[in-house]
This record gives sequence, structure tokens and C-alpha cells, in this order.
Amino acid sequence: MRTALVLLLLLALAAVAGSLVPQVGVADARIVAMFRDHPLRARVYEQIGLFDVYGSWWFTLVYTLLLVSLAACLLPRTRAFVRNLRIRPVPARELDSMRHYAEVAVPADPDGAIGRARRVLRRRLFRVNGPNGVPTLAADKGLAREGGSLVFHWAFFVLLIGVVWGKGTGFSGQAVIVEGETWTEAHANYDGTLREGRFFGEDHAGVQLRVEDFQATYRTTGQPQDFVTRAELLDADGDPVEEVEIRVNHPAELGGVKFYQFGYGWAPVIRVEQDGVPIADGPVVCQQDVPPEDVSPLQLPWNCVVKLPTLDPQVGIRFELWPDRRGLLALLETGRAMPMLGQYAPVMTFEAFEGDLRAELVQDASALDTVAMRRFETGVLGAGETADLGDGLTVTFPELRQYTVLTVSRDRGLWIVLLAGILILLGLLPAMYTSKRKLWVAAEPRGTGAVLKVGGFALQRRSQFEEEFDKVVSELRRSSEEKVGT
Amino acid sequence: MSTGTWARLSTDAFTVAFFAYLAGMLASFHYLAFRRKPVWVVAIGATCVGLVAHLLSIVGRGAAAGRIPLGNMYEYSLLLSFLVVLAYLLFVEGAAKVRTLGGFVLSFAVITMAVAVLFLYVGPEPLIPALNSYWREIHVSSMIVSSSLLALGSVITILYLAKERRERRLAASIPPIMGGSVGLEDAPPHFEAGADEPAAPSGPIRRGLLPSAATLDRLAYRMIAFGFPIWTFGIITGAIWAESAWSRYWGWDPKETWSFITWVVFAGYLHARATSGWKGRRAAVVALVGFASLLVTYYAVNLWIVGLHSYAK
Repeated sequence: MRTALVLLLLLALAAVAGSLVPQVGVADARIVAMFRDHPLRARVYEQIGLFDVYGSWWFTLVYTLLLVSLAACLLPRTRAFVRNLRIRPVPARELDSMRHYAEVAVPADPDGAIGRARRVLRRRLFRVNGPNGVPTLAADKGLAREGGSLVFHWAFFVLLIGVVWGKGTGFSGQAVIVEGETWTEAHANYDGTLREGRFFGEDHAGVQLRVEDFQATYRTTGQPQDFVTRAELLDADGDPVEEVEIRVNHPAELGGVKFYQFGYGWAPVIRVEQDGVPIADGPVVCQQDVPPEDVSPLQLPWNCVVKLPTLDPQVGIRFELWPDRRGLLALLETGRAMPMLGQYAPVMTFEAFEGDLRAELVQDASALDTVAMRRFETGVLGAGETADLGDGLTVTFPELRQYTVLTVSRDRGLWIVLLAGILILLGLLPAMYTSKRKLWVAAEPRGTGAVLKVGGFALQRRSQFEEEFDKVVSELRRSSEEKVGT
Repeated sequence: MSTGTWARLSTDAFTVAFFAYLAGMLASFHYLAFRRKPVWVVAIGATCVGLVAHLLSIVGRGAAAGRIPLGNMYEYSLLLSFLVVLAYLLFVEGAAKVRTLGGFVLSFAVITMAVAVLFLYVGPEPLIPALNSYWREIHVSSMIVSSSLLALGSVITILYLAKERRERRLAASIPPIMGGSVGLEDAPPHFEAGADEPAAPSGPIRRGLLPSAATLDRLAYRMIAFGFPIWTFGIITGAIWAESAWSRYWGWDPKETWSFITWVVFAGYLHARATSGWKGRRAAVVALVGFASLLVTYYAVNLWIVGLHSYAK
């Protein structure tokens, strides 16, 4: 047990380190900042795995050793427990030298008295052995303590199985879906990193989700109130299954795949035409910069880019979207943008560039590389308006839509993990709050009746046992009187 | 009543509770030192007045915000201190009939409340969507109930360490002729008489201010043994909530990590008590490490470490 305890404390220490050093996937921005400000320290941290403590080899080593040591502890205990279950309580002598001892004089003869004592003990849920020819009983109670303790400890192995199986065969990623569009659950359709488990066999579910609309509501203070994606779920064959409302804390599920509300943004529909022929048409997903201190994201405009590589020279247009026109007006008048809580006469400013898009370089779809480009036009575009860029090129902003960001994941181990949690609690309670106690009763003839000698002790929670012992003794006394009276 | 009236009632009741506890604390310490029964009555009376006002403050807060008042650190602190005092009255004064620890427990409540009102106060506001779940109520209330029990156990553990040290010194200074066992039934079996201890006051052993070390140890253990499964339950319900709010049941977010660390340390304490050589003083030290971890989980994670629980300021 001591080894396991030391390993458990080591695990806690490692977790402390993990909570103080920024972790991959939790605080990526701070890791980047550290590489910039303290490159040497950051590299040392990276080498020893401090940026990913919970995935590092030494963390794995500690909890593996912990489980091994735990198993080494539990196996013999479990074997002894099972053996104990089968063995009946063992008779004892010299009851009067036990921690608790009492004598009860009863009118019945020894055999009759012991029979009644047996019933009393059975009624109190003791395991009773005897009388085996001689008028003595051995009884015990409280196997739940050791049993609960074993269940509690073994449950951690159940937990491990649930975690490994669930994560290993599952996946988790994010889907960006514009209102009115249908998204299919497949490897290629995820946005950003898709985490797939180690034993994942590329068995994506193929279920579909058609987003009808998304709604973000805010209180007048700018505090978010609710985010709802109204959608239709379709199975892999494209047959509709059900209409759902996905909101924070209320994920939707189909075929083991769960959809969680994660975020949202704006996607203006932008149509670019050359001489009346559309060369780009559709919703464009806009992103937002990280707001500076004391500025709410609601005060910031949204940025997106339309690239037209087929034109010669190539054209790229950078848009800045204000979903609420008053946000932009407030910025122009007072130098401080008003929080934009919803759509209100949306407006976009744009800058059009021509030249070389340098599409051969790896770049972000939402960024425009203007090194080899020249700005040839700027302007403002309200919803429903069209701007002329010259050379027969026009850009139209027919409508503003929203997109929703959903976390999509599958974890088949969830129910195992939940089961482990329930076992942990179910085991913990008897392990902490019950006690193992033993009782013996021997009847000896005295005068016309008999005397019951009762001895016993508890291994834990001794003060409680004192009361229990007194109760047992008085019940023994009462039962003998009842019988004689009738 | 209007929202504003409820909010004002809440802050006024907070002030009454604060000063009632302060009075109760002073009276309790006076009783501890001089053992005048009327002073104890005053202490209990003040504590009860404080408790009622405290409850009123919590209810007023809930009415003003139109929800169960468990949405931010100020509200957590309000409930935590309430439960610590309530648990003290019920279990220590009530069940165990120990009357001398009130001053220490009330100090803890007073400090918690002062920190809450000075550094954590925010107006009663509705909740952001991520917090809007019935799991939140189950998770947060079990976390606070267990925190208050673990904190109460830890305060008593500090007193145990002080008392145990004193008993050890007294024991060491008793001349062997007196038997060396007088007043020592409660000393842990591993104590050793140190030669460097100061000489004893001769004559009968002076009665200590606090209950015996054994009593304190037992009380502390009971509180922690009571709080630990509830903490476990709180972590499990937190994981269930996290699964529906953040799409994963465990993500090593700082608050999750620290609740795990606290759990591990208190689990260590419970095991240590059952291990020979670790009973008594060493186990108590483990409990204090657990207390420190509890405070980090409760305050530091929200105030200084960035994570998903940062909203709960």
C-alpha cells in the first residue's frame, strides 16, 4: 500500500506541474508566447514533455506503475475476501476477555436459548455459524467494508478501460456549418484538427446534419443568454431522422456521434460577377481577431477574403463585416465600437487587390497575401447592394447568414466511464462508513434456565459498536421473555 | 419585493452575519481562555444570529438574481462559510459536544466572507449559457458542501497539531516517577520524549485550553471522512456536466486538475490514518497539504490560472 500511496502522490505532483505550465490543447496561445519570450526555457520544457504532461511518457509510467502496484495489492486481498465469504464465522473461547462482554440470564434451556439468539442475530443481518451440536454461536457482520473497498479500488481499472477504449476508438473535431448547408460526418469535412483515436479504424459514421438556422441571443448588458442551432439530423443514407435544437449543455446525438454547440460566426453571401457572369457565389466564413484587453468580441468586425485565381491578373478582395451598422458608425463617431448583439443593416467595407495571389505558397484560406498585389479599389457595401470594381467586375452582398461551430465527437467508452464512477461511489460508502464486527454467544445451564454469554468486538468504528452490542444484548434478553410469556 | 430590494436585503444581512460571527468569534475565544458559561451562551447566540442573517443573505441574493445563488465565486464563498458554521454547530457543538473550537471555525468563516466581499463581489446577474444546467446545481452544491466539511476538518487538524505538540512536551517533562502515563492515554503511540524539551512545571498537569488531541483527531477525521465521498461525487457530477457542456468529461482544465489533486491528497490522508507509522501527526500534515490544495482549487485557480472555470470569478 505504501508504494501505491507514494505513486499516487507523485501523480498529484505531476498534475500540479501540468496545471502551472500551459498545456497543449488547453492554452496553446501561451505556449506560443513562451517560445517567443523564453525560447530556451520553452525548448527545455518541450523536451521533457511539460507542455503535454498528461500525455507524457513519465506521466503514463507513474499511473501504469500505480495500477500495477494497486493490482498487486488487490489480488491477494480479493482472494482472501472470496475465501472469507465462504468460511463461516469461527468459534471462539474465553468470551469474557473480549472488549465487549455481557451475560444474560434466560428462563429457557441452553438449546432453546441459543436457537432464539440465533434468530435475533439473523434478524440483525449477522452471518451466524452454529449451533453445531454444542449451544454456541459465532457470528460476524460487515463484509461490505472490505467488499466496498475492493469495488472502489477495482473500479479504477474499469475507469482506465473506459477511457482507453473510448478515446482509442473515438474521434473529436469541429464542424463549421453555414445556415442552410448540410454537413456530412467524414474525415475530410472537419475544420482544423481532428483527433482520431489510436485504434480508430476510419469508421466515420457518415451521418448528416442540415443547419436550418442559428440564433445567438444576448441580454442588453452584452452578456450571452443563449446559443441555439436548429438542425435536422439525417442518417448515412440521407433519410431525415429528427429535428433537433443544439444548444450549450444540450448536445444532439445520432448513431453514437454527438454534436455540441461550440461557437458561431457570420458568413456573408458574396457574389462576384464579370460581365454579368458569376465567378464566385456563396457564403464566405468570416473570422474574428482576438480582441485586445477591455474590448468585447462583440465590438470587433469580422474578416474574410474572396480569392479569384482565374482572373488575369488575379484578384483578391478583403472584407471587413459589421453585422450591425451602428457598430461601425459608433466607432467612426466616438472611436469606440458599440457591441453588436445581432444583425442590423449589416455593412461591409472592402479592399480589392490585383496581381499575384501566390497561391503556390501554403497559406490560410482566410488570409490574403498582398506582397505581390496592388490595391485598386476600396468601398462600402450594404446588404443587398452591388459595387462596381471596374473592368466589368462587380461584387454583390445579397444577404448575411450565420454559421455555427459544432464540436462533433464519438466516445463509445462513456458508459463504461460512468459505470466506473458509480462503482467508485458505491464502493466508497460502505468502505468508509461500515465496520467489521464479530460476536459470539454461548449458552450454559444455570438453575432451571440458562445464561447467555455474549462477547464481541469491532475492528473499526468502535464507539458505534458499543451501542450496537448493548442493543443486541437487550434484544436477547427481550426475546427470551417474549417466548416464555406466550 | 423588487430585485433591488432583495439585493439590498442580501448585502445588509451579509453585514449583520459578518459582525455577528465576529462577536461570536471573540466570545468563543474568551470562553476558550476563561471558561465562563455565560460567555459561551453569548458566543452560540451570536453565531446563531449570524447564521440566520447569513441564510437571509443567501436567499436574498437568489431572489435578486432570479436563480439559485451558485453562479460565481462571491456566491460560492457565501454558501461555503455558511455551511462551515452550520456543520460546526451541528457536528462539533451538537453531536460531539465540543465547545471550545468555535473561535477558530468562526475565524475561518469571517476571513472567507471578508475575502468574498472585498475581492470577489459582483452584482446579482443571470447566468451565461454554459452554466445553465441542472448538473451545475448538483455539482456546485456538492463541491461546496464537501469543501466546507474538508475545511472544517482541516481547521480542527491545525488545532490537533498544536495540541498534540503540547501534549508531547508535557509528557516528555513528566518525571518517570509519576508514571508517565498521566494524561497520555490520548498521545499517539510513536511519541518520543526529547531531552531538549523544556523542564516541566511541577505539580499536577495544567488543564489544556483545547480538547484532548485524541478528540480533535477524531473530530477532524470524521469531518474529512464525511466530506471525501461528497467531493468524489462532486467530481463525478462535474465530469457529467463537462461532457454535455464542453463535449468531454475530463480535459485537465486547471480546476479539474486541482480538484483531482485535492482528492488524491485527502485519499492519501485517509490511507495514512490506516498505516502504522503515519497515524497522528504525519497524517495530519497530509490533511493540511490537502487543505492548501483545497484553497488553491477554490481560489487560485479562478483568480490566477486561466482556464474554463475562469468565469466563476
